[in-house]
Amino acid sequence: MADQGGSNHGIARTSRTRTEEQRQKDLERIKDYRGLEDQVRHHAAKNDYSPDVFALTSKLLRLNPEYYTVWNVRRRCIISGLLSKPSPGSSPSKASPTSSPTATTTTSSADFSSSLSTETLPAPESRTTGKSGTTVEAEEEDEEQKQQTRQQHQQNDQQILQKELHFTIPLLLESPKCYWIWSYRLWILKQVIERLSVPVARMIWEEELGLTSKMLLRDQRNFHAWGYRRHVVDQLESPELEGKSLVESEFEFTTKKIEQNLSNFSAWHSRSKLIPRLLDERNADDEARKAFFEEELGKIGEAINVGPDDQSLWYYHQFLMLNLVHFVGHPTITPAFTQEERVTYLRREIEGIQELLEDYDDAKLIYEALFDYTLYLCQLQERKPNEQEEEDLRGWLGSLKKLDPMRSGRWADLERDLGLRVTREV
Amino acid sequence: MGSISDTLWDVVICGTGLQQSLLALSLSRSGKNILHIDPNDYYGGAEAAFSLQEAESWVDRLATEDKGLFRSASITKPDVAGLSFPRAYSLALAPQLIHARSELLSQLVSSRAYRQVEFLAVGSFYIFKAPLDPAQQPSLVRIPSTREDVFSTTAISAKAKRGLMKFLKFVLDYDSPEQRDAWKPFVDKPLVDFLQEHFKMDAELKAYIIALTLSLDGRISTEDGLSIIYRHLTSMGHFGPGFAALYPKWGGISEIAQVACRAGAVGGAVYMLGAGIKSMATATDEVELELTSGDKVKTKLLVRGDGSVGDEPSISRLVAVVGSPLKSLFESTIEGAPTPCVAVVVLPAGSLTISGVANTFPVYVFAHSSGTGECPNGQSVLYLSTMATSNSKEVLSRALESFFSAVDHDQVPQCLYQLYYEQAAGVKQSRLDQLTLDLPGPSLSLSMDDTLLKHVREAWKKVVGDTVDDAEYMVFTDREPVDDDDFE
Repeated sequence: MADQGGSNHGIARTSRTRTEEQRQKDLERIKDYRGLEDQVRHHAAKNDYSPDVFALTSKLLRLNPEYYTVWNVRRRCIISGLLSKPSPGSSPSKASPTSSPTATTTTSSADFSSSLSTETLPAPESRTTGKSGTTVEAEEEDEEQKQQTRQQHQQNDQQILQKELHFTIPLLLESPKCYWIWSYRLWILKQVIERLSVPVARMIWEEELGLTSKMLLRDQRNFHAWGYRRHVVDQLESPELEGKSLVESEFEFTTKKIEQNLSNFSAWHSRSKLIPRLLDERNADDEARKAFFEEELGKIGEAINVGPDDQSLWYYHQFLMLNLVHFVGHPTITPAFTQEERVTYLRREIEGIQELLEDYDDAKLIYEALFDYTLYLCQLQERKPNEQEEEDLRGWLGSLKKLDPMRSGRWADLERDLGLRVTREV
Repeated sequence: MGSISDTLWDVVICGTGLQQSLLALSLSRSGKNILHIDPNDYYGGAEAAFSLQEAESWVDRLATEDKGLFRSASITKPDVAGLSFPRAYSLALAPQLIHARSELLSQLVSSRAYRQVEFLAVGSFYIFKAPLDPAQQPSLVRIPSTREDVFSTTAISAKAKRGLMKFLKFVLDYDSPEQRDAWKPFVDKPLVDFLQEHFKMDAELKAYIIALTLSLDGRISTEDGLSIIYRHLTSMGHFGPGFAALYPKWGGISEIAQVACRAGAVGGAVYMLGAGIKSMATATDEVELELTSGDKVKTKLLVRGDGSVGDEPSISRLVAVVGSPLKSLFESTIEGAPTPCVAVVVLPAGSLTISGVANTFPVYVFAHSSGTGECPNGQSVLYLSTMATSNSKEVLSRALESFFSAVDHDQVPQCLYQLYYEQAAGVKQSRLDQLTLDLPGPSLSLSMDDTLLKHVREAWKKVVGDTVDDAEYMVFTDREPVDDDDFE
């Protein structure tokens, strides 16, 4: 059940050929599985979400974490039985009971809920008069008891929720790309925000950030993990968790990932997304922005220098070049650059990339970059390519035609659009 | 149970060095009657690991013999405190690295013997750089061998990095027809020449590449050099991030020999240490042996290690116990990578001056942390190797000094113990003489040389005959069910 479709980035998946003995074993396993499934569906149909059913979902989900209906059954078990009911008259509840679809259903023999007082203590009758001193004392006592109840609820809920998080871990390790497991975790984590105190909730969400780091260590290009990480970071930065900006540490995280593996498209992409806010939060002035821009150019330059065939590197480089060229109405690293500065940097990059050709004369992405950037330069200076540039463009197109004959249609289009049609054999 | 003289043994194996031990492993499920003896009172033969006591006995013994592969052995104990008790040390005679893609590892895995060995990661390779200004201290520069290494290093220019990347790309494809054409003319010529002619590499890059080959004379041939670099590059990351080679805990190759013998014993072989061959006589189809223990045994085949000296040059080795953990050498550079317990430092030819003369041959320093189990916590063991010459002992001494000044600029580490010896190359071929098979001598290579495995396989074939399929060589199932399921 752990085998799933989709790319596993070179991590081997086991495949087996079966002997008759194994086939019999498999038939047994299928029988057991179907039996479990029937039981769960049977109970769910009767709206029975007791701890027994909860235990059944554990068994079934371990065998098949993709069975999303069973995850829903589990959610219902948790809400209707294991987690504390929000008490009426208690402090503004962060939980909206209506968010759970089972608010109207009641459980039967849930041992958990019966052992806990899930009802508030009845409000003292004298409350409504509110004049004598005894009323105030009674109110204070009332508050204290509510506090205690709230704390008890939170402790209980924390245990339940953390157990649930723990339950999903081995499932995640086996099926790191199963949407339903991630979705369940997110749902649990949402309950964490709604039900637990802010410090506790923060601690749990910070652990979650640590988990995404571990998942990204195992498979650096697991895009689920990257998207998930962004969501976790968003929550940690949110007011619900009294968060502060994590942009510096997230930026540093992308640096680390890139150092581990230059081909990490997600890391470079993440990096580009973080930059505008990073610079804003640093209150970076024009000098600082210029310095930052140069540092990024240096870094990507070093990367392309050793990995000229790597598309993700060229995408990031283009992102930096577009910063020079497409700055009107776009967030940009260096808004204060003069036209002259933009031209200088672009020219410098074009020259630097041409140097690469000394050693990498068969890297087609280099020719594409040179082609594109020369046109950027013309765009920037609002002019057409001059004679020398036309010759260069023609030459680079010629190399592209040789190195990438499959895209000959594209090269022909470019040639035509720029009026570069070659009149003689190159 | 009869005495060993009653049995007509299928094979008597003499010596528990690596090859003989691997033979015992290969035969451990064959049901053959095997008697495995060793004249020493320890396992491992030329690949043994010694406590300080055993090292001393060994050196004393060598003083009286001079025909063997080992000679000129001596021990120096500087007058400093810090040396622990003798059994706290396990000094390896064969501190070879085993590349992740080596055939030996595949065989250890398929034979299930790997479970008994604790493998440690070999971490960074460094090159020793003499300072430009003689008043300054030398330094160690990490040799980049992955694209990310090359990206991160600040020690090489952008142009040189491109050259290095092109070379690495070339090597990964070196066996293809197009690339072969490029290096075929240089097949037997030194790799340095090929690097010069074809890649126009500067001296620094050439030094990096040669260092990765662990070539003792620095003149490894193009074919052999490309093959070993290919093995290094493809081994990188094979068993986990950040390392290309492994090293067995508790004494290197000796541990493999011991584990192999243990497997042999479990398979029914009889083991006798302290028993060598006093005399032998060959009859029509059996060999009669008189052992030094007084026992007389008969066997269908006798397998020995050839202890005679071969044609190739000898090496000089210095084993030094250091009173410092040398932490900077054993840092893991990649997140998620195991902490390495071995680091390699190469002092290229010309990087040292001894009595006004530069060293002709490189010196290789294998640094072992206490994680190898070869010394107590807080100390480390260094294995220095170089070609044996008239002044190689001084070369190693100077190398040790220079290494100390390069590895710790603040405080010179202290040497607590030194063992010096020279080891001659053995013969490279097996020899079958009627009913006696002599396996080749131990390899002087600093990394596990897979070519010796084929001799073990041939010996196995000789014992089991044609009834067994070649595909079954070193392929066993676990004796007891073992749960291999772990997530990491």
